[in-house]
Formats: sequence, structure tokens, C-alpha cells
Amino acid sequence: MSTTAITAAGARPRRAPARRGTRRSLPASRRGVWFILPFLLMFLLFMVAPLGYAIYTSLYTSRIIGGTVFSGAANYTQVLTSGDFWSGVIRVVIFGAIQIPVMLAIAFFFATIFDLGVARFGRLFRTIFFIPFAVPAVVGAVMWSFLLEPQFGPFSHLASAVGFPGTNFFSPSLLLPTIIVVVIWEWTGYNMVILYTALRSVPRDVVEAAILDATPLWKIIVRVKLPIVRPAIVMLVFLNTIGALQLFTEPLVLSYYQTQAVSVNYTPTLYIYNTAIAGAQTNLAAAAAVVLGFVIVAISAVSLVFRRRREGTP
Amino acid sequence: MTATTARRPDAPAAPAPPARRSARRGRRRAERLRERSEMIPVRLYGLRRGTVTLLTVLCALFAVFTLIPIAWIVINSTKTQANIFESFGFWFARPFEFFHNFSLLFQDVDGYGTFTQWFANTALYALAGGGGATVLAAFAGYGFARFSFFGSRAMFLLVIAALLVPITAITVPLYLTYARVHLIDSIWGMILPSMVSPVGVYLMRTYVQVSVPRELLDAARIDGAGELRIFFRIALPLMVPGLMTVLLLSIVAVWNNYFLPLIIFSQNNLYPLTVGIGLWAQRAQNSGSTQIFPLVVMGGLVTIIPLIVLFLILQRYWRSGLLLGSLAS
Repeated sequence: MSTTAITAAGARPRRAPARRGTRRSLPASRRGVWFILPFLLMFLLFMVAPLGYAIYTSLYTSRIIGGTVFSGAANYTQVLTSGDFWSGVIRVVIFGAIQIPVMLAIAFFFATIFDLGVARFGRLFRTIFFIPFAVPAVVGAVMWSFLLEPQFGPFSHLASAVGFPGTNFFSPSLLLPTIIVVVIWEWTGYNMVILYTALRSVPRDVVEAAILDATPLWKIIVRVKLPIVRPAIVMLVFLNTIGALQLFTEPLVLSYYQTQAVSVNYTPTLYIYNTAIAGAQTNLAAAAAVVLGFVIVAISAVSLVFRRRREGTP
Repeated sequence: MTATTARRPDAPAAPAPPARRSARRGRRRAERLRERSEMIPVRLYGLRRGTVTLLTVLCALFAVFTLIPIAWIVINSTKTQANIFESFGFWFARPFEFFHNFSLLFQDVDGYGTFTQWFANTALYALAGGGGATVLAAFAGYGFARFSFFGSRAMFLLVIAALLVPITAITVPLYLTYARVHLIDSIWGMILPSMVSPVGVYLMRTYVQVSVPRELLDAARIDGAGELRIFFRIALPLMVPGLMTVLLLSIVAVWNNYFLPLIIFSQNNLYPLTVGIGLWAQRAQNSGSTQIFPLVVMGGLVTIIPLIVLFLILQRYWRSGLLLGSLAS
């Protein structure tokens, strides 16, 4: 650690008129640059440069005959007019429209219970609910695949035991609900913890005053607590939307279990992955990656504006 | 934010270990007590009788849903391949093969690679990437929080903008770039980008602003201490709790990363656990091997245990990190 520090901050003699004696006026010091430089360098090399290169690549097309030629917006036109890309987009939008409200409702329900302390063993449950967050998505998806596998999965047995013989959770009609359940399993605890923390910040005397007025509990929750945690909920909606648009690992792992339902363009990210790796159409994949990245950045930017406006002038 | 920032950053430099442990336990107990005393007594809510029981049952049901896959993987790690398919999924079956299955992790079954190699790779990537991210974030966060110079604001805005760029969006561009600069199938291709953590920088900047007083730094400057000395001797010890959070979050991020290693590695001796387990899961379906299902189950179990343990021990840092991280993004 210290060696990094020294090479980064000290041993560069170029701009080193350091000891000039006016050290007291340092709050506006230029020397802070040396603290930021190591990060900035890595940031430029491994984030800015690849993004720039992807944009550059997306403007070219390589042909078997004639090599790589500049093609302007052709790749973008192809991505934006291809059904493959849009069917994935529509699918993740449907996915998010179901998964996010359901998960947030569950998370808010339990966060409220823990905040009010109206269930026993609250701390224990809180810890348990959060555990899936520590499980890598791949392993989570593998575990659920075993549980839901059509031939030997315990849940398929259970389904036939309660009167739905031959239930195939990996069939085209049930695959999306299956993925929704897996993602809810993974992320509810995280959302719950954030909502719980937001709920804890509701001033106690406000709630006490409401109780003294004999306000029923549901009304306290809806009228007092919900408005105060609304910014947290809005933020989680945006975060989860961004996550939903990037859906990748779960459908990919499920596709390992001989699921014909997972097409190569099942989600936008799978489309990009398969275009780049299996299809070796890197220019097209770069264009698709830029489009998806742009959509996500736009959503994030909207969320920032939204929050700024809501917070208003401090 | 208040919850975290209110947490005392006054970690003493080096107290004797037993004292620290009991202090920590005491702090935890105090936290629990405070939490309880802040709560409004349940009877004041005027709930119908049985409500608490009902809600506890609902919590228990969701807890069962949460724990089902984990229980399944624990139970089935003790079974033979035949029993994984044929016996009841949620109870043990003879023969008890836990240790045999565990020993399989040390062998290259079917020639797809060994678990131990992947485990070591993951540990290397996570420690080097996460450690590097923490070091860079410590310097940069301190620099952004306590210095202002020409361009520092613009640079910070750039970091904020980077917070909006998701990992997935950067992965394919990285792959394209690596193809040009020969970083495909190189461990550096995994470690170096993992060291870039805009969230970490943001967290550290916030943390320094709250917990490293400007006056203290100025006093040291008047005494003639150099900037590096001030950083290491004065600022860094005050930043330790924040650094723990950043370290934890970045290690977990690398540990769980699947997309990047999936596309940049083609040699299975470079795989991290996530890619290795994914490969096994895929092969298990396609090959008639007798060994590979127990391997997937046991491998999955051994993959998640370190993280769950880490999480249970360091819960406090997770929670504060999540909160700050969520505020950041």
C-alpha cells in the first residue's frame, strides 16, 4: 500500500516545487492532484477508453471481403430496426413491470413490520432475509434450477402432487415467472434493508402524536410513514429498473438446463453477448452495447433530476 | 446517511485485542438496546389480538422461502448423484457422501478444471481487485474531499457520471478493447478494471468529509508535516471504518462478477468460481458423467459459505455501505 502511495504521490519529480513555504494556504492546494491521479489514470484506462473504443468500433463494419470500413450509423440502424433487439427490450420491460412492484411491496411490508417491531425475532428475520444478497447470482440461479428442474426438481414433484402434473417451470410460458421468482428471492432482502433504514428515520414524535390522536395503525403507515420514505422507494424503482434492463445471468444459467425457451436474444444483454461472442459480430454488438448503455444512463439521469427536484432547495 | 455518519469514526489506533473485542461486543449490545428503546411499545398501536403472531408467521414463511435453496444445497451436498435425483430433496439419504463429494473438489473431474484452482483464482481476483479499489478510493476520496484545485470539481462530476454507467455496459467495451491490446486470457484483464470503483471513491469522499476534520490537517501542516505523512498518520486511521465498507463491497462485487470473466477467459485454469460453476452446470446437463452433479452442488455450497460468513460477521459495514451506496447511485 505504502509503495503505491509513494510512487503515486511522491516520486514524480516533474512538478515538484513543493516546499515553497506557503503551506498554510493549502486548502486550495494543487497537491491534491497527486491523491486523485492513480484513480483517475485507471479510470481513464479501464472505463473511459473502452467506452470510447466501443463507440468508435460501432461506427465501422468488417466484411470478409474488403476489411473494416467506416459505415457511420449503419450498425445503429440495424440494431434499432432489428426485431431481435426489441423483443429482448420488451421482455425485460414486462419482467420489470411485474417483478419490481411485487418485490417492493413485499420489501415494504416486511420493512414496516420490522420498523414497528410487531413481529417476534425481528432482528433474526432481517438477517435471514438479507442472506441471498451474499449469494452470487450464478449460484442462486443454479440452486433454483435444481429445485425447479422438470424431471427431478422437488418443486416439479410438489406441483404434480397438488394437482398440476407435468408442470414445466422452464417452458416458454412459465420461464419468465420463474425468473421473476428467482430475482425476487435474490433482491428482496436488499430492498427491505434500504426501506427499513429509511423508515427508521421517521421522527418518533410524529408517530406518537398520531397514536395519541387514536389514528389507526394502517393510517399511520400510509399517511405518515409512506410519504417520508417515498424518496427511498423512488430511488429503488430506478435502481431496480436499471437492474432489470441488464437481466443476464439468470436466463443464461437457466438456459444451461436444456431450456429451449431461452432464445439467444432473450434479453438485450444476452443479445449483445451472443452477437459479440457466438456471432463474432463485434461492431454490431458494440452498437447494441452503446444503445443499451445510453438508455440506462438516460434513466439514471432522469432519476437524479427527479430526486433533485423532489429534495428542492435545502 | 445520518445513520452511518453518526457512527463514531474514533477507532483507536491500536488497543490490545481483548479490549477491542469486548468493546465491540459492548457497542453491539448498546446498539441493540438503543434500537429497542427507540421503538414505540407495540401495545400502544392498539392491534387486534393475535396480530403479532400472524405477522411472525408471515415472516417465518418468507424466511422459509429464503432458506429453501440454501437448505437444499446443504442437504444435497451429502448425496450421491443417484440420490440427488431419486431421494426426497429436503432430507438426507444414505450413503452419506459429504466428504467424498468434498474431496472431488480437489480433482479435475471430466477435464473441465478443478474447483480449488477456481477458488484460488477468485480469491486472488477479489483480494487484488478489491484491495486495489480500496487503496485507489482512499487516495482519491481524500483528495476530492480535502483539496480543491483547478479541475477537481469537473473530475468529481466525471466520477459521479461514471456511477451511472452499469457494469454490463462496460463489459463488452472492455472485451473489445482487450482483443486489441492482448488482455484476453490475462488475469490483469480481470483485476485491473475491478480496481476502478467510482462508488468507492464517492463513499470515501463522503466519509472523509464527515470524519476527518479539516482543522486537524491544517494543524499538522502548520507543524510542518508533509502531505503524505499527514495522509498516512492522521487521515488514514480516521478513515478505517469507511475503508472496511469499501473493501467489503468491492470484494463482493468481484467475487460475484460473472459477465466479465465469462467473456474474457477461455482457458479454464483462469476461471473464477462463478464461471466454473456455470460451466459445470452446463456440462452436467450435456454429459452422462456420474460425478458432476454432486460436484456442482458441493461447489455451489463452498462458493457461498465464505460470503455468508463474511456477511454475518461484518453486518454493520454491509448495512452502512449499502445505505451510502444506494444514496450514491
